[in-house]
Amino acid sequence: MRQTAATRATLIACQLLLAAFVLLPFFWMISVSLKPATEPFAIPARLWPEDPTLANYVTAFRPEFRTYFLNSVIVSGASVAITVSLGLLAAYSFTRGQLLAVTALMSAVVLAQMFPHSAIIIPIYRMMRAADLLNTYTSLIAAYVSVTLPVAIWMLRGFLMKLPVSLEEAAAIDGAGPLRIFWDVVVPLARPGVIATAVYVLIVTWQEFLFALSFTSTREMRTLPVGLNDFIGQYGIRYGELMASSVMVSVPVIAVFFVLQRYFVAGLTAGAVKG
Amino acid sequence: MMAAVELRDLHKTFGAYTALERLNLEIEDGEFLVLLGPSGCGKSTTMRLIAGLEEPSSGDILIGGKRVNDTPPRDRDLAMVFQNYALYPHMTVAENIGYPLKVARVPRTARADRVRAAAAKVEMAHLLDRRPGELSGGQRQRVALARAIVRTPRLFLMDEPLSNLDAKLRTVMRAELRHLQKELATTTIYVTHDQVEAMTLADRIVILNDARIQQIGTPKEVYERPANTFVAGFIGGPPMTLIPGTVTADRFTHETGALDLPGQPDGPAIIGARPEDIRVTAPGAGDLDGTVFSSELLGDATLLTVRVGPALVAVKVGPDDGRDMDAPVGLSLDRAKLHVFDGQTGQRRD
Ligand SMILES: Nc1ncnc2c1ncn2[C@@H]1O[C@H](COP(=O)(O)OP(=O)(O)O)[C@@H](O)[C@H]1O
Ligand SMILES: [Mg+2]
Repeated sequence: MRQTAATRATLIACQLLLAAFVLLPFFWMISVSLKPATEPFAIPARLWPEDPTLANYVTAFRPEFRTYFLNSVIVSGASVAITVSLGLLAAYSFTRGQLLAVTALMSAVVLAQMFPHSAIIIPIYRMMRAADLLNTYTSLIAAYVSVTLPVAIWMLRGFLMKLPVSLEEAAAIDGAGPLRIFWDVVVPLARPGVIATAVYVLIVTWQEFLFALSFTSTREMRTLPVGLNDFIGQYGIRYGELMASSVMVSVPVIAVFFVLQRYFVAGLTAGAVKG
Repeated sequence: MMAAVELRDLHKTFGAYTALERLNLEIEDGEFLVLLGPSGCGKSTTMRLIAGLEEPSSGDILIGGKRVNDTPPRDRDLAMVFQNYALYPHMTVAENIGYPLKVARVPRTARADRVRAAAAKVEMAHLLDRRPGELSGGQRQRVALARAIVRTPRLFLMDEPLSNLDAKLRTVMRAELRHLQKELATTTIYVTHDQVEAMTLADRIVILNDARIQQIGTPKEVYERPANTFVAGFIGGPPMTLIPGTVTADRFTHETGALDLPGQPDGPAIIGARPEDIRVTAPGAGDLDGTVFSSELLGDATLLTVRVGPALVAVKVGPDDGRDMDAPVGLSLDRAKLHVFDGQTGQRRD
């Protein structure tokens, strides 16, 4: 498609506007995190602090933060591992299985992802309490797996459906059994899909607040999003430290995203089958 | 290890579409059998049924005397070259070729030796570290072939394994395959739509059309005694000339003339003559009259195409017997080698 200089300029202007709209809160977060305690509400408000300081980061990086961070890593990491593994196996059978029951189950999966978290939190809470699992990693991981799995299955199925069946047929002829085919052929080829799904689960669970707040009752078990609450006191909000913590919470996810984004471009099946 | 293959009443439908119509076929142990037919006639379907990648709608498949309908592909002990290659894109050429051996737990060093030997047979030994995405179509096809011949299965299934190679390499590979197959004496079923390939490779040819077997025979048999007009037109290049007409009192009359045809019942008939069984005569002195449409030197012969009425007739003459375009010629058909087919059914009449 040919573009005139004018359309191009308009497009770029629109993109910049959109980017500014999306990025402004992040900029504000960073700006506030660098302001001394007295400044956030100074009038007139400044876009960028007069004397930037890292003091907020020093206070925000307290021992509790480190505990919360570790908890988040454990809970998110386990959720990613479990959801992606289960999701891949389920998606594979949903892709290649031909039973009528499979179609019905897939519809159930689609339906399952339509319930908002707030609608299912009470039943899940009661189940966790009955199983005596409240205030454990297990309760959070179980909840996270159950809310992310439907979308994960859906995403992975989309990837698997694009894999040519003849590769699995070739492996079967070469003597491989179903599990071997899955491991040697399907998993390597599904890698872009696996990574995209893992990033999705990571983003959802890393920032999850509602379950984390409801299911944990002690500081030792809190995750980062809940931990941010510590700065919201009865008599005031310590914005500088809150924003410094927020930056530290965001950085790992953003870093993971940048490192892995090249995998989102699927292209691994090049050369498998004739045109 | 005996691996005769038998197909009994093998039938395959896809929904309302019949891809294979009650096929009966026996393939002897060690035989090189070629399935030949136009695109869409059911060749790949037959292969996939034998391999176990499709389930027959009815009928039985026997390998080595045992019914294998319910045996999964990996337990049928066969190697297959897929029409679309089906190479593993995430593995190198060496890993692709060696994969069946890896699955069979062949030790690493033995595996490397056999991979190299198989790759050398298809002239790919210098590209072992490439991935399929970095290869041309012909190279991919050769890797697919190597992945099959690296094993010693009891049955080879090859679905158009040479279709994407250039002419020279195809001739070399053809000889290589023929030699290898005789050396290993492994039963081989080979699919092609190329009749030259079929003629040169096969012990026996099965000609398929419209989901049905048209004829089974040695290359010589199907060439010399085609069972119907389809086989007559399909085997041999350039194809046999087929002339429809009517027999009345031992004389065959067609659009542009007539000739004696003793011993045939009255009624519609089709006669056929191969290019090498037609002689060029002076105009009016032969069975047919026409004008030269084109004259092509093939090297050891000249191919004359003669326009007879609305039809084009291919005639093979000596290398020095080329003619000018539009020159009037007569054509005389070798009576001893004339093929006669029923005018209605197209079946051979004898
Ligand atoms: N999985 C399938 N579903 C529906 N139709 C099929 C399928 N596989 C093959 N066919 C049809 O069966 C016919 C025979 O196909 P095939 O055996 O691949 O022919 P070929 O002789 O060219 O190898 C074709 O018309 C094809 O469209
Ligand atoms: Mg085919």
